[in-house]
Amino acid sequence: MTTTKQKKDILLNIKDLRIEGYSDEKWIEIVHGIDLTLHRGEVLGLIGESGAGKSTIGLAAMGFARDGCRISGGSIEFDGMELTTTPESDLRALRGSRIAYVAQSAAASFNPAHKIIDQHTEAPIQYRISKRLDAQEDAMQLYERLRLPNPTEIGFRYPHQVSGGQLQRAMTAMAMACRPDLIIFDEPTTALDVTTQIEVLAAIRDIVDQFNTAAIYITHDLAVVAQMADTIKVLLKGNEVEEASTVEMLENPKEDYTKSLWAVRSFQRPQKLRPGGDAVPVVSVQNIDAAYGDTKVLEDVSFDIYEGMTVAVVGESGSGKSTTARCITGLLPPTKGQILFKGEALPPSYKNRTKDQLRQAQMIYQMADTALNPKVKISEIIGRPARFYSGLHGAALKNRVDELLDLIELEPSKYYNRYPPELSGGQKQRIGIARALAAEPTFIICDEVTSALDQLVAEGILRLLDRLQKELNLAYMFITHDLATVRSIADEVVVMQRGKVVEQGPKEEMFQPPHHAYTDLLLSSVPEMDPNWLTTLLEERGVDNVGEAADV
Amino acid sequence: MGDILRLVARRLGLGVVTLFVVSILIFFAVELLPGDIAEAVLGQSATQETVAAMREQLGLDRPAPVRYVEWLSGAVQGDFGVSLVSGERVSAAIGPRFRNTLFLAAYAAVIAVPLAIILGIIVALLRNTVFDRVANVLTLTSISSPEFFLGYILILYLSVKTSMFPAIASLSHGMSFGDLLYRSFLPALTLVLVVTAHMMRMTRAAIINLLASPYIEMARLKGVPPWKVIVRHALPNAWAPIINVVALNLAYLITGVVLVEVVFVYPGVGQLLVDAVSKRDFPVVQACCLIFAATFILLNLAADVGSILTNPRLRHPK
Amino acid sequence: MSYFVVGYYALLIGLSCLAAYYKQRTPFMLLFSLTLASFIMGIIGGVSALWTVTLAAGALALAAGTSYAFREFLVIILPRETAKEIKTAPLTASFGMFVIFTYAIAGIFAPIIAPHGESQVIASAFAPPDETMLLGADQLGRDMFSRIIFGARNSVGLALIATLLAFFMGAIGGLFAATKGGWFDQLLGRIADVIMSVPSLIFALLILSIFGTNLAVIVVVVAVIYSPRVFRLSRAVAGNVVVMDYIEAAKLRGEGTWYLIRREILPNSTAPLIAEFGLEFCFVFLLIAGLSFLGLGIQPPTADWGSMVRENATLISFGDMTPLIPAAAIALLTVSVNFVVDWMLYRSSGLKE
Repeated sequence: MTTTKQKKDILLNIKDLRIEGYSDEKWIEIVHGIDLTLHRGEVLGLIGESGAGKSTIGLAAMGFARDGCRISGGSIEFDGMELTTTPESDLRALRGSRIAYVAQSAAASFNPAHKIIDQHTEAPIQYRISKRLDAQEDAMQLYERLRLPNPTEIGFRYPHQVSGGQLQRAMTAMAMACRPDLIIFDEPTTALDVTTQIEVLAAIRDIVDQFNTAAIYITHDLAVVAQMADTIKVLLKGNEVEEASTVEMLENPKEDYTKSLWAVRSFQRPQKLRPGGDAVPVVSVQNIDAAYGDTKVLEDVSFDIYEGMTVAVVGESGSGKSTTARCITGLLPPTKGQILFKGEALPPSYKNRTKDQLRQAQMIYQMADTALNPKVKISEIIGRPARFYSGLHGAALKNRVDELLDLIELEPSKYYNRYPPELSGGQKQRIGIARALAAEPTFIICDEVTSALDQLVAEGILRLLDRLQKELNLAYMFITHDLATVRSIADEVVVMQRGKVVEQGPKEEMFQPPHHAYTDLLLSSVPEMDPNWLTTLLEERGVDNVGEAADV
Repeated sequence: MGDILRLVARRLGLGVVTLFVVSILIFFAVELLPGDIAEAVLGQSATQETVAAMREQLGLDRPAPVRYVEWLSGAVQGDFGVSLVSGERVSAAIGPRFRNTLFLAAYAAVIAVPLAIILGIIVALLRNTVFDRVANVLTLTSISSPEFFLGYILILYLSVKTSMFPAIASLSHGMSFGDLLYRSFLPALTLVLVVTAHMMRMTRAAIINLLASPYIEMARLKGVPPWKVIVRHALPNAWAPIINVVALNLAYLITGVVLVEVVFVYPGVGQLLVDAVSKRDFPVVQACCLIFAATFILLNLAADVGSILTNPRLRHPK
Repeated sequence: MSYFVVGYYALLIGLSCLAAYYKQRTPFMLLFSLTLASFIMGIIGGVSALWTVTLAAGALALAAGTSYAFREFLVIILPRETAKEIKTAPLTASFGMFVIFTYAIAGIFAPIIAPHGESQVIASAFAPPDETMLLGADQLGRDMFSRIIFGARNSVGLALIATLLAFFMGAIGGLFAATKGGWFDQLLGRIADVIMSVPSLIFALLILSIFGTNLAVIVVVVAVIYSPRVFRLSRAVAGNVVVMDYIEAAKLRGEGTWYLIRREILPNSTAPLIAEFGLEFCFVFLLIAGLSFLGLGIQPPTADWGSMVRENATLISFGDMTPLIPAAAIALLTVSVNFVVDWMLYRSSGLKE
């Protein structure tokens, strides 16, 4: 496939692209000389962590720089036209007609004041490609091809009346309105749930194939890019790491950084079994219901967590996994049912719990940025629980803080007097763990602790948590939507959907068929590092049975 | 449409309740007087008989809540009782002056609102240029200057030194409209200067806030020309903030009007209020306060209802 | 044509060309638009208009120079961390700091600086300026300059006390409302709504008509009128902090409300609160000046800028600037505080507009 394309003409040729961003009153280079070649009909995946400059490069391919950014060097040649020297009015004539853009958040990128179809037909009418009615007719056909429900009617709704996955497809349709030569997809599925992601991926891939459009697909998710791209380019902090065809990149990565991206989920630990006999679970959630105001969010949720074990609670956004954690900590008193701690019922609200009850259950948060007070020193963040619960003072307190810093593998003398904003994401997360440990708990709730971290760092955190569990005999409740994390660290799995537990059991059983239908959907929707995964899956399920259509 | 009607109805209801609470506040504040109105007005030298006579005349022997209900029902029909100083009906004194004040405020608003919105949009589009910086300094200066400072500068340069406009806005009955505009030009200009600066800054902030939204970037990436980005994509979403800015500043005019009326000896409610305060003519003070507060509350109400009605998400419910 | 006019245009055009030659777009646009504007002004207003422009430019240059020097001065005398931040201040902000500094000196050392007493009659009414009286005499023959200096103490001092009181009430209320929530928050919110639904000057006039114009009443009334603004802001700022996970962590640890406010919320709210303090001061200062101007604020013979404008207002009709001086003193201080606040807000929002 690739060889034939090489002979076709080059559509986009970027050479030594340099982009600067304005911060702290000076211009700082954020993209350091990127080369990029794209042929007609080729799909290039741009992959990298946050801050790698992916979006900036994507926009530069349209000759566009966001406010506070500027293209400072290099050349961008689109179909023989040098975009860096083209006047703005000519650039504008390219945008929407020959190069189109699909943004990350469709909900924010559609204008709330106009109907979807009016925004769709804006470009074709402006470029006098077609008349209004023809353009609408064409839009409906595109909607049908993208498998949107009610294609003749959906365009006449306002953006907020349509769901996220559908909006993302409508935006892809809009990008197609003038049949551009090139589309930039900027993380189009990042904000979506896995089950919705599939339908959008499938729709995008089909339509790009059908019209033989070239595309730049920007994402941080390797498994996704493997499904979409012919070629993959890996970026790191504004520099290119390597570029190769998808198959080659997956099978035979050259650079260490790329290999590390591939190798992340190597960590796996053996599954533990429940302690036998009449062992009492550390935490026992018994038939709880919960509601925010009048909206019921949890219904009859029950599960047990035993000493030294990890229970992973999985589900998509809105499934009630975080709400369950709020019920356990007492932030949201359940409307029905109770929570037992080592066999004793806990007061529903944290305000009525004793200091010791509060001490025993600790929490680690998803966003380390918001979990640590930026204006408080590390020594105080970790020291406060030790002083508060155990009444440590002076040298004893300092020793305890040093001990905790040692435990999370950070050099005490170096970090003692620093503030959270001076630390990296992984270090902050470690401080969060140390704060939880300072209370000497028996049970820790880990709320999506790795999902905001880059993959390698996340791996380190998982290993640390595992080591601490062994050393301190901790029980974990691990809230996550990432099944790879579940595979590596969980002993038992609880699957939640719309506020209910649909299935639970030991990990190995849960990953073996037969499953509950929803578990099956969830498991199979997680993209895998196999370029043919999406194709195979669609063949198995049939194109009309993915995503929202496959609701169970 | 049910949602939006319910929201508007709730906001209107809240407005009525606020008005009611404020009327209670205005009426009962006077009850806080040490002693009562009669003693306060007549002073310590007054004899027992005169105080008693005044109490009788004002009906102070009846309980305050009863008098409040009477006062409020009178006020709703435009009857605010009798002035303690002149003995004339308060409504007769306020009526023509209220018209003058409204005229002055409307005069200023008609010039300031379009001017400020247009300038605000221009400055927002030119943001981070020299013009933006200069405009920022100028508007800040204008906001920071007390109304009487601006007023006297205008008098000094446009009236005393060049005699282009009259310094004292003496209005008389039966003046032609052109004459009215000419005579009250300086007070109106003073108000325009202050309010325009405020409105410009707020419009600029609202527009810049809006231009940062992803859908504006999307429109630009679709190749929509800049004027169309503003007219088609920004403006329909900008109504709510702009309506808010306008209403807030019209409400601000009300406070400004009092000082400006005193500077230019303009025969409006503001001057009447200041006179009444120094003479402790309570029925007049209460009436003026109620009128100003009601106008203020109504303008804020109008702003909120306006922004509910123009919100596209509320106009087209799911 | 005088040498002045020739020199004036030659200088402007020469500088414009120089800017254009070195491709300095912004200075060129400024200089050249000034040149064009000068043509028009010269035709309409003659040489005197050009003189005005020259004087204004000179005054601006002087202000800019002073601000620059003052900023360098601050950078040198202040500790390193603060100095680093001051270095990024625009000239408007350092101009503001300079003015505030000057006013503070004038206010604190008023009796030493002022050549005459606050209410000492030394000349005939409205006597023109001479060697002993820099700005002439007022309507009772008191030295205008001395009264301006004393005014810095009285007017600014009163406004500062009222602002502090308003700030104290509003901020404490706002922080507690955000942390506690529930009925307490609701109650304070409704009270703030009612106070804010009456225009501030009108509210002040109503209360002053009842309690009379004494200083304590003014301070309390003004503080009550403006505390809802502080309340709303501090509640909003604290509200943004309260939703953070570290607050949840502290709550789950069992910490009390006071600890939460003092150790967790306050350190993260200082920047917007300080900026709000400046803004609030401007509002309070202008309101009190307005009241004084109406004769309902600080009472004679105390020197106060608002009252001084009113007392000398009649001079305006003779083309005399005297009443504008105290008014200008008010405006200058408010502008300066606004300049500093503007910079702080820009910094704390971190917006790259």
